[in-house]
Amino acid sequence: MIRNYLKTAWRNIAGNKFYASINITGLTVGLVVGIFMLLWVQDELSFDKNNTKADRIYKVAIVGGTGISKQIFNHIIAPVATFAKNEIPEVEDGVRVMSVGNAPFKYKDKIFIEDNFAFTDPSYFSIFDFGLIKGDKRHPFADNGSAVITQSTAQRYFGYEDPIGKVVTMGLNEQVKITGVIPDYPANSTFQYHVLLPLSRYNELAYIKSKTTYDGKTIVSSMDADWSSFMCETYLLLKPGASEAVIAEKMQAIHERNRPEDKPVPYLTQSLTKMHLHKADGTDAGFSTVRTFAILAILILVIACINYVNLSTARAMLRAKEVSMRKIIGAGRFHLFMQFMIETALLFVIASVLAFVLMFILLPYYNQFANKQLSLSITNVNIWACIAATLAGTLIASSIYPALLLSSFEPLKALKGKIAAGIGTASFRKVLVVTQFSVSIILVIGTLVIGRQIQYILNKDLGYDKENVFAFTLRGDMQKDFEVVKARLKNDPSVVAVTRASRNIVLNGPSTGDNDWDGKPKNSNMWFNQLHGDENLIPFLKMQVLQGANFTGAVADSAHFLINETAAKEMGMKNPVGKRLRVQTTNGTIIGVVKDFNFASLHKQIEPVVFQYKPKSCWQVYIKTTGRNSNRAIAVAQGLWKNYNNDVPFTYAFLDDSFRKLYTDDQRQGSLFSIFSGIAIVISCLGLFGLAAYSAQVKTREIGIRKVLGASVGRIISLLATEFMVLVLIAILIASPIAWYAMNKWLQDFAYRTEINYWIFIIAGIGAMLVALATIGLQSVKAALANPVKSLRSE
Amino acid sequence: MIKITNLEKFYRTEEVETIALNKLSMHVDTGEFVAIMGPSGCGKSTLLNILGMLDDPDEGSYVFNDIEVAHFNERKRADLRKHNIGFVFQSFNLIDELTVFENVELPLIYTGVSASERVKRVEEVLDKMQIMHRRNHYPQQLSGGQQQRVAIARAVVNKPKLILADEPTGNLDSSNGNDVMELLTDLNEQGTTIIMVTHSEHDARYSHRIIRLLDGQTVMENIMV
Repeated sequence: MIRNYLKTAWRNIAGNKFYASINITGLTVGLVVGIFMLLWVQDELSFDKNNTKADRIYKVAIVGGTGISKQIFNHIIAPVATFAKNEIPEVEDGVRVMSVGNAPFKYKDKIFIEDNFAFTDPSYFSIFDFGLIKGDKRHPFADNGSAVITQSTAQRYFGYEDPIGKVVTMGLNEQVKITGVIPDYPANSTFQYHVLLPLSRYNELAYIKSKTTYDGKTIVSSMDADWSSFMCETYLLLKPGASEAVIAEKMQAIHERNRPEDKPVPYLTQSLTKMHLHKADGTDAGFSTVRTFAILAILILVIACINYVNLSTARAMLRAKEVSMRKIIGAGRFHLFMQFMIETALLFVIASVLAFVLMFILLPYYNQFANKQLSLSITNVNIWACIAATLAGTLIASSIYPALLLSSFEPLKALKGKIAAGIGTASFRKVLVVTQFSVSIILVIGTLVIGRQIQYILNKDLGYDKENVFAFTLRGDMQKDFEVVKARLKNDPSVVAVTRASRNIVLNGPSTGDNDWDGKPKNSNMWFNQLHGDENLIPFLKMQVLQGANFTGAVADSAHFLINETAAKEMGMKNPVGKRLRVQTTNGTIIGVVKDFNFASLHKQIEPVVFQYKPKSCWQVYIKTTGRNSNRAIAVAQGLWKNYNNDVPFTYAFLDDSFRKLYTDDQRQGSLFSIFSGIAIVISCLGLFGLAAYSAQVKTREIGIRKVLGASVGRIISLLATEFMVLVLIAILIASPIAWYAMNKWLQDFAYRTEINYWIFIIAGIGAMLVALATIGLQSVKAALANPVKSLRSE
Repeated sequence: MIKITNLEKFYRTEEVETIALNKLSMHVDTGEFVAIMGPSGCGKSTLLNILGMLDDPDEGSYVFNDIEVAHFNERKRADLRKHNIGFVFQSFNLIDELTVFENVELPLIYTGVSASERVKRVEEVLDKMQIMHRRNHYPQQLSGGQQQRVAIARAVVNKPKLILADEPTGNLDSSNGNDVMELLTDLNEQGTTIIMVTHSEHDARYSHRIIRLLDGQTVMENIMV
């Protein structure tokens, strides 16, 4: 029986190559895109879930600031982990991780700039599944001079030599001995630290030094006693059954007991498994994008299914005779149902095979594009489960309705040609076409809005001048010799100006809630973003001083502050100039107010900023070039760098590029969106093309009669085209409000956003009409030009 | 074999009600060859469809082999039909995607006959219809006469007790038409009951009895000698 079904199915496909190829193409494209997107979604959802104790590991965050400066700190004070472990019985273990930017590591004559290195506690290797594969498991760090590296790092550094015991130089002259090797991290792990050093080493070498005053007095004895510096990510391993909310309360109590002036200091705990897509307070940090992509994937698959359902039900009429004969001869409904299911399944197998071939070919490009490391390896059960579910879901969605419809024909009516399939389900098919086009139009509108928003961001006036500015970080004695370096740079005709600051202005930097001013309300817990610079910084960046004046470079400036407008507003000051302000250990006076400018991403509102005159803590050099000869300016800077750091490669970044990088994700999302909407339209048009061809075929006789009666070619084309254009028009009407709503929601994620103009809808609508018209036009013209005598005879 | 009493069938549209069969009564004995004649629209095809259990009557009784089937549901009728009745149509109604062999084999598949038995029986009947040499051809590759022979082969392969033929020679030239009528006569002589709707007086002469219908009622019966 099955053989007979398969045989019939195959002959049906082979005998109707046109429709079969439309169906197969639509399904193949839909499957490739749908599966790719779902794999991306699955990968995003799988982050950090591989850890065997994932359900018991929680990240600790602290809520700081009030009003507009309210923020969640994922890097928190160091003592929390230690105190939690010692004082909270529900806490089994804790680990701190502190990444401190990049550093050069030197082995023999090879230098590696490590972006992903961190200081951590030894429990890092037991709380997470990052156990040592080489070295002493119980003592990953033998002493403060130890380091643990990943397998691939070991290979990079030492080739096939045994890494254990090897000594490398970190930074200028710190010796580090490799005492352990861990396996490479899975790609879906948030942790990607290739080199790990003991946190106690940081405490000993850098921390205590930074907390020592110039006269040698130590302010804080150790990180574990510092309740105000936010620096470590902290993870706690809870005992089974422990309540995370209780833990948060207990940590808050410990903190407030040790530092009463911080009261209240709310703590948050966040499950390791939620960290990748959510912020610590549970708000969105990518989850909505994942959800959007999952919906898009399903919509694309639905569009592909609709093609199949539409074409096969439309063509059902042509198969009515066959179905009724089978029934008269003795086929039951089940027989026929199975026959059509198998027919769909066969078509599906062909489409799936093609889809797999395409996926294997396209996967490397897709990975590159989506910034993923997906692989179709046999061993990855999750991926295959995802693919199998997609295939099964799509198969069921596209096969059941046509099979039910075809098997339900009443033989007598079908045989007499009175079958209602053409008429009765025509409205159903129209609904499906409208659905397809609605989805496509929504995607097109989405693409346009995203594109406009990205353009808006990239071209927005940020309130400072980032044109032709590049920056690099001073190293070693360069900082001490800054004036010499600056003079040498300024000497070159390609350099317009030079200044320095404590941070990259494009990115988020340090902030502090340790502040006070005259009349500060009791309940205020405002945080300042801190920006240290010299007297040239503000004019260099062409920021506007609205009140008061800029630093002059005088010694007295070390007790002066400039604040931005937002800070003044948050502090409730109309005329801040001359008012007293304390920031951390500096007591001084506000001397000016700077016009608000957008530092960090435009996803965020402008927050309070305080400028301090601290040239000694400025390690970032900004160089403005004439714009005509940037390469020359870079070469000069590089030459100077080599004088000081011959062993470390020179790295620099243009502010423009750093700024663009903030929106890499948005841009990638925009590109993916435009590709998906393009594909959705192509698949929809394939279906429309098939339906138009079918409609022209069914109407051959009607067209013949009309032509005999004198209808012009133009009238006949419009007769055929109108039927479909009305559907596209309805789709535009349905899609527009939905797209407006969805994109408006998407834009809410940006603090600064473009408007959704009415012309976007007009463009999308006209575009959809034109594409649809082009799709059905050819078929209509062909049908209209046919010789009526021939078409009438064909009946 | 067949006894129908006061059979009624109406066709309704929104505005018009047409009476296709009007209190029709008749009977057909086992082994008979009956021709049904009458002008277009007299109810011949409706009657044939009800006899073939493709349609059900609105009123009246239809007893087939001593079973009242007038109000059987679709599934029961289909079951009774596939074991007892074979159909031959004017337009052959072969399935284009299947070969001659596969077309004839189809009823056996649906009644669950084993594969080896199917081959035996199909070959037997194709041999009898003299189209064995065409077994692997598709319907489009055959002449009209050959197609109708395949259709008859398909109708008889399940060894039905009754064959219903709806103008079996309507699409054939006279020579092929005669061949088909000879085939039907042979089948009848071997014991199969045949009811045939026809416009052709010539074909009707092959039958034992002609029932003439007008406006859904029997107007005359001729016994052939």
